[in-house]
Amino acid sequence: MINEVRVIGKTGITDGKGEDILYEINHALGIKSVEKIKTARVFRLEGISEVDAVRLAEKLLAESVFQSYTVNGPLIEDAAVVLEVAYKPGVMNPEAASLIKSAADLGITGLVAADSSWEYGFYGDKITGKDINRIVNSLLVNATVEYVVRKSPETLVINGTPGLTEIIPVRQMNDHELDELSRDKLFLNLEEMKVIQDYFKGIRRDPTDCEIETIAQTWSEHCGHKTFRAKLMVDGKEKKPLLERLKDATEECKNPLVLSAFEDNSGVMQFYAGMAVCGKVETHNSPSAIEPYGGAMTGSGGVFRDIAGTGLGAKVLASTDIFCFAPPDTATEDIPPGCLHPHYLLRRVVAGVRDYGNRMGIPTNNGSVHFNRDFRAKPSVIVGAYGILPAAVCRKGSPSAGDKVVALGGSTGRDGIHGATFSSGEMTDRTMEVNSSAVQIGHPIEEKRMFDAILAARDEGLIRAITDCGAGGFSSAVGEMGSETGARIALDRVPLKYPGLSPWEILLSESQERMVMAVAPENVERLLAICRNYNVDATVLGDFTSDRRFTATFQNRTVLDLEMDFLHHGLPQRVMKAAWNKPVFQEPESTTAGNWTDLFSRVLGHLNVCSKEPIVRLYDHGVQGTCALPPFTGINGHGPNDAVVLAPIRGSSYGMVVSHGLNPVLNVIDPYYGSLWAATEAVSNAVASGANPREMVLIDNFIWPFPDEELLGALDLAVDACVDFVRATSMPFISGKDSLSSTYRAKDGTVIKIPPVLCVSAFGRIPDVSRTVSTDFKEKDSLIVMVGYRNIVEMAGSVYYDLLGAVGNNLPKINLNRLMQVLEAVYGAVSSGKLLACHDISEGGLAAALSEMCFGGGTGARVRIPGGEQTENFLFNETAGCFLAEIPSGTDPFKVFREVPVTVIGKTTGENSIMVEKSGKVLCKLDLKVLKKSWQQPMKEVFH
Amino acid sequence: MKKPRTCVLRTDGINCDEETFYAFEKAGAECRMVHVNQLRRGEERLSTYQILALPGGFSYGDDVHSGKILAVELTSFLREQLLEFVNAGKLVLGICNGFQVLVRTGLLPYRNLGEIKAALISNDSGHFECRWVNLVVERSHCVFTRGMEGAVIHAQVAHGEGKFYTDPATMQEIENRGQVAFRYAAAGGMPSMDYPDNPNGSLNAVAGICDSTGRIMGMMPHPERYVEKTQHPDWRRMPCADAAPHGLVIFKNAVAYIRQT
Repeated sequence: MINEVRVIGKTGITDGKGEDILYEINHALGIKSVEKIKTARVFRLEGISEVDAVRLAEKLLAESVFQSYTVNGPLIEDAAVVLEVAYKPGVMNPEAASLIKSAADLGITGLVAADSSWEYGFYGDKITGKDINRIVNSLLVNATVEYVVRKSPETLVINGTPGLTEIIPVRQMNDHELDELSRDKLFLNLEEMKVIQDYFKGIRRDPTDCEIETIAQTWSEHCGHKTFRAKLMVDGKEKKPLLERLKDATEECKNPLVLSAFEDNSGVMQFYAGMAVCGKVETHNSPSAIEPYGGAMTGSGGVFRDIAGTGLGAKVLASTDIFCFAPPDTATEDIPPGCLHPHYLLRRVVAGVRDYGNRMGIPTNNGSVHFNRDFRAKPSVIVGAYGILPAAVCRKGSPSAGDKVVALGGSTGRDGIHGATFSSGEMTDRTMEVNSSAVQIGHPIEEKRMFDAILAARDEGLIRAITDCGAGGFSSAVGEMGSETGARIALDRVPLKYPGLSPWEILLSESQERMVMAVAPENVERLLAICRNYNVDATVLGDFTSDRRFTATFQNRTVLDLEMDFLHHGLPQRVMKAAWNKPVFQEPESTTAGNWTDLFSRVLGHLNVCSKEPIVRLYDHGVQGTCALPPFTGINGHGPNDAVVLAPIRGSSYGMVVSHGLNPVLNVIDPYYGSLWAATEAVSNAVASGANPREMVLIDNFIWPFPDEELLGALDLAVDACVDFVRATSMPFISGKDSLSSTYRAKDGTVIKIPPVLCVSAFGRIPDVSRTVSTDFKEKDSLIVMVGYRNIVEMAGSVYYDLLGAVGNNLPKINLNRLMQVLEAVYGAVSSGKLLACHDISEGGLAAALSEMCFGGGTGARVRIPGGEQTENFLFNETAGCFLAEIPSGTDPFKVFREVPVTVIGKTTGENSIMVEKSGKVLCKLDLKVLKKSWQQPMKEVFH
Repeated sequence: MKKPRTCVLRTDGINCDEETFYAFEKAGAECRMVHVNQLRRGEERLSTYQILALPGGFSYGDDVHSGKILAVELTSFLREQLLEFVNAGKLVLGICNGFQVLVRTGLLPYRNLGEIKAALISNDSGHFECRWVNLVVERSHCVFTRGMEGAVIHAQVAHGEGKFYTDPATMQEIENRGQVAFRYAAAGGMPSMDYPDNPNGSLNAVAGICDSTGRIMGMMPHPERYVEKTQHPDWRRMPCADAAPHGLVIFKNAVAYIRQT
């Protein structure tokens, strides 16, 4: 029997959740009939008496100071409509375990299952059924994981018996049948399917479902990076595979700070005091497109595990979030079938990143959001994480034969089955239905305590090797870890969330918050004891062997028996053709501006320029107490910074800088120069804050539509740009990820390719965090100077052009020969304490950078356009690698920057305005209050 | 000089333990990380410590209510140890989630284990928020704020359930007994009910309270995040003389108190 406890805030208690939803209903959905919303919690408790349910209500669920409750009775009775939204059965509700634990702590035994959900009461006489449907479908319920409870469930216990292991008769299949087998499930091409067929013909048996699934996920684009490893024919000429080019460039620059590149779960760089720092950036586009909250959470959780699974275990220091969405005010009819609205996506993705990072105690303190209409079919959700570990344990471990395979963390359920193959496929209007099992709700507390246990085990030297259990689940984690030795596991030892999983599901499940370790037999007991102390489940699944086979058993029967060699080296190298043709975009008709206040306001209020502070405030960017340059500083904390600076070793001034850069529009105009821009922007952001360009490393993330010949040509150019950048700057890429599935294909044949995105992340070290600067102006009467090379007619892809309704063709072309000289000059100036403030110039150009420096400083500025320069281009050009700096009055800027071009553009003032002069005349005087309002408004509307 | 022994309590989801540990050590204490399981198993005893620190985080995910599951655990299993500890004149500091736990155990405001008289409830904004605020230090019995009375200090808040709430009679009593240690304030030090100076809508702008002895204190803002100059977001704008980290004083007061007794 299930007892239901409902809990609500007493009269007079602000219902923040209800008010928030009401705002969304009124503003985002435009429904005015709802006047008020009350929210209540519902707890379902199975296996205890009503008397115990009352006790639980009193002692745990409701606090009489501010709440009232009912047991097995309605609570919201006067509303026009009352409905309850709960997680679907089988979707793990993290709160259930806490309910069971706390009941036991209170001495209430017999609680076999529990659940919690939300009830909403809608008030208003004119509410229609249609209104409620829209509210439910577009705001309250994500049908992938949630449902409206029409009838209370009879039990919360999930039962089931495991299915048998099936034999897939691939040996007899014709091409059509092989295609059918692959479609929606394996996502392999016919050639690859035939290689599998030939292998099994060779060993004279058919594969089990476990085997074929394991091969499919190992060979998926997501895990196998087939495009990046392919032999490329570019315009008929053979070129080295993309990944090889990137790796070669890194090796060539022989940067002594690189400790581990492209071989572990993250890239590792030497830090100070015997420590190393590491970084990894992941994309989580496909899951976030269909269930943004769960998708963003599991994206964060996965990239954190990549850090925790680096070397013999690292501590996560920080996370970054970088998103690309369609504008939040996109008309509903513009959203392709099967896709979610960007307003909802944006809010839910941010909520996912917030809830995972905050609960883990990992500060999210660097990020950005980019908007472009073409992301309406699929957003780009990029999450990064950075960590620290002793340099002595920073290399990837390898298991020895005889080591135990230990699974750590959460139980295994049907979550995320086919995640690896799913994220490698295109998104279609069927994606939402077919792949709904590919997402789940993350459980950050599970992950946090697992990390606590891992660090304790690492410090006692108990870990021989460790890796994340992510895409492909155990099949990938154990298969990869044992690739040089062999591994044998018993699937029936895996702790399950509920019974009934078939062996292949256990093997492939992508349930979150799990990791796999190799542990020497003599250390197993101690490891298990540590895990018990931290409330972490740890299970010995089997052994690493010396037979170079991957074997799994279930109920003493072998369900998987593959040669590691075939699994990891059997995938044929693809040969792919690439050819890029430069598209031609419209040029603006006229490039002169009219009303300056209006123009500045529109530039500052452009979605790609506007303040993202409302998002940053939702993240705990201060936890761990390491932040020496936070995302926002200055008067009222309104001035945005270019990078984050952390002091990760408490009590020391050693610093780590993290930043990133990307510009989807520029990549569309020209993938080579667009990519150079992204890399330059990433490092400029760091250098503007005080990073040393000689002690920095990079991470690449290519987020591309499904690569046809044209797009592969674009990818080829983007990789060339990265390689050229590395050669010119000696900043190596040490980690990266490609996600080549950003194409949407509708039933009617409509294809939407999202803009190709190269996101470059940068991290580096500096000896002293006190030698860094923020962007906010510090004083009045300082000199404002512009540093760097730019050709201001290169306006294509700028925010200014976008406001003129054009893209243009002449985009900023970074001059790699001169870039290092500029970066070193800026670093020299910052680190020697000669600058009061420094800001890199990017979207919105000099005008936006200057305005932001004023917002943060509470100062004004008086600037002049140099004679002969076109005013709009001077103000709004977006060439990366250029900087605005504040220098104390009386200092000679030409001595500060030496041979690098410096333009003195004006002075800071005590007024609350920006005055622009040209040829001795005042062009305009702009009220900073007005500009700031335009700049802050867009995200305030989304995140009220 | 003898270092006060400090127990930094950890459990699932506590995540400000390391910076709290560091803040106490910097202030002169000798700290130890203690998992609640170690106390439950009897491997550790509270009586060997002089200061108990409940750090911030999301204990057990803040499921049901923030800090609730840990509060139930402490009152169910460590009742005697806790009573013995507070009755021995020792110090208890709860920060953020730790404050929520202290209120939900009943140790604050009235040192009555199991009697919940106040609550930290959802911010009026309905969501988590992280920002720096001004706090005015009240005249109170609190031993953690000795010598700071009247000062305006800076601290970061980072919470979703931080609105201090209680019934009018209890509020009045807390005020009358001088149990309010900190209030959210405007830059000049005037207590504020206006967002964002008061980030969560706390009644009477309460940011932290102590019990009647002043030895148990809870606060929502994070003083442990401001024990180094460069932890302040605007240290670059401050004259050097102003740069003594405000949060450190609270930890030093705790250490000084134990040393005197």
